[in-house]
Amino acid sequence: MSPLPRELWFFIPLAAIVIAIAILWPSPTGYAGIVLFVVFAGLFHVGRTRPDRGFLLTCSSVPLVVTCALQNIWAGAGAACLLAGIVSSAMGLLESPDDNRSFGLFCGSVVVIALLIMFSNHVTAPLLIIAGITCLVLFIQSVRNYQFRKEYSGAG
Amino acid sequence: MQLSRCSQGICAIILLLVASAFLLDDLASLFTTGVLVFGLLGQYLLFDKSEREIIRSVEVRRSLGRKTIRRGSSLQVISQVTFRGSPRMHVRITDLLPKNTILADGETTESTLPDPGQRTCSFRYRMIPLTHGTLSFSGVRVECRNLFFEDSLSLAHPAYTQPAITVMPSGLFQVPASESMEGTRDNRKASVYSSFDIHSLREYQPGDDLRHVDWKVSAKYNRIFLRRYSSPLSHPPLIIVDLPWSGAPVPEKEFSRMISEVTGLVNHTLQTYQRISILFISGPNVLHLIHDEKNAARCIAELREWMHPAERLTHFYHMADRTDLRSRVRRYEEARDDAPDTIRSPFFDAMHDHYLSVLGHQRNPAFSGQIARTVSPIVTTEAFLFTLWTGDISHIRHVVRPLTTQQIRVHVKIIDDSRPERSVPQGKPAPAGGKR
Repeated sequence: MSPLPRELWFFIPLAAIVIAIAILWPSPTGYAGIVLFVVFAGLFHVGRTRPDRGFLLTCSSVPLVVTCALQNIWAGAGAACLLAGIVSSAMGLLESPDDNRSFGLFCGSVVVIALLIMFSNHVTAPLLIIAGITCLVLFIQSVRNYQFRKEYSGAG
Repeated sequence: MQLSRCSQGICAIILLLVASAFLLDDLASLFTTGVLVFGLLGQYLLFDKSEREIIRSVEVRRSLGRKTIRRGSSLQVISQVTFRGSPRMHVRITDLLPKNTILADGETTESTLPDPGQRTCSFRYRMIPLTHGTLSFSGVRVECRNLFFEDSLSLAHPAYTQPAITVMPSGLFQVPASESMEGTRDNRKASVYSSFDIHSLREYQPGDDLRHVDWKVSAKYNRIFLRRYSSPLSHPPLIIVDLPWSGAPVPEKEFSRMISEVTGLVNHTLQTYQRISILFISGPNVLHLIHDEKNAARCIAELREWMHPAERLTHFYHMADRTDLRSRVRRYEEARDDAPDTIRSPFFDAMHDHYLSVLGHQRNPAFSGQIARTVSPIVTTEAFLFTLWTGDISHIRHVVRPLTTQQIRVHVKIIDDSRPERSVPQGKPAPAGGKR
């Protein structure tokens, strides 16, 4: 008997989350989550041979995350982590222990963002914080890159 | 660093979500934005880490056919670039040529598939330096690409630019000192009768010269035996190969024929004389001289190395020989003096003045001097010049003239079915130059 593919281990809890949302908070948004899950699963199956599969899966997973987050931010966080797991497995980004560690860090950052959103009333403050962190990381990276290139391009 | 198509699409989604979150004050959209941004940022950090590891592991080893070459001649380079690969990372390695050089043949780029193990890219190519001086390689370019990003870096640290190549100016072309004559042959134009070694005996036949009878052997066997003498044959012919210009279309069929004819003559000469000299030129550019080579394998290897269309640094266009110009001036002077009427006399006058003015402005090209200097140490009485006879052929004249001056008979082998072979005896004019 062949073992279950890794994607399926993410699919089952994701389906459970989507169905739970529809049961616990019955609303058009909750039902839309089920439809979006089916669409995502369909695209996952149909787009196996497409060269832009990663982008296709990302596009179809974004509305599902938004729908889940609209009902409950932690449901959205869970959906985001599971969808990231599905997309990463499909693209071969979860193959080594290092990849699993990176995935764990990503899940941790999703929890941090969820906490940030949970304690915010409006978009402006968390948006500025996310933009600030991004700019800081990019700035540090650009300085490191400059030093690295200088050393190896013979200018240093 | 550049974003791949996938990353560009994700960035577009992020911008769309940011706009909707900001306009609708929707925290769910902002959450999704944050997830995508952090996901992409994480991938960027992973890509950067892998790229650094690959670049740090790059090692370059190059070996050159020769460390010192002439400008315009080709140089064989073998490079080996070793690096440690990374999973999901496509790596493309390019060996960068020194500045002011061109690639003659071979490949300098190789792509590798994702693999975490040690990888080695081997390059074997030929390059031609266009300027003289000391040239260093420009390094190695490493291009990395994964699903989300791509980036390239030219490694120009001194560790990646070794070894240096010394390029000598082609204007100073001359026979290397080590190959020059060192008094081993006093009489360069030795006669074919200069040696009298006996290599066999045979019985007398009516009509044989009695002066060659070996009386001692004849008395011993009671039959008349004649001595057969061995003497050195005349000197091996000089073979000159006029290679076609790589910048113009080369007639493949004729060029292949020229290669086979040159190879055949080289083999025959080596079998007959046990040594050979071959001069490679390309138009008015002296490329390489194989001087007095005795090793057949080395000779064939050199032929294989040089028998390609070559880059020309200098080009001639209707470059007439000064000796020809002077003879034309003299001819029109005589014609003018002999002209019986006054009708043809102005024509001869005009032609005489024209050639005289050309003669006044035109100097002997450096190419003629190079040929004379190159050929002077070579002892020969005969030369074969192989040419495809394409493009401007006025340089042929400048090759033949110094040879005929040194009493060398020149056979011009034109590899063209529509033209016959030409033979230029000593002291006689060479084939006419000019554009075909």
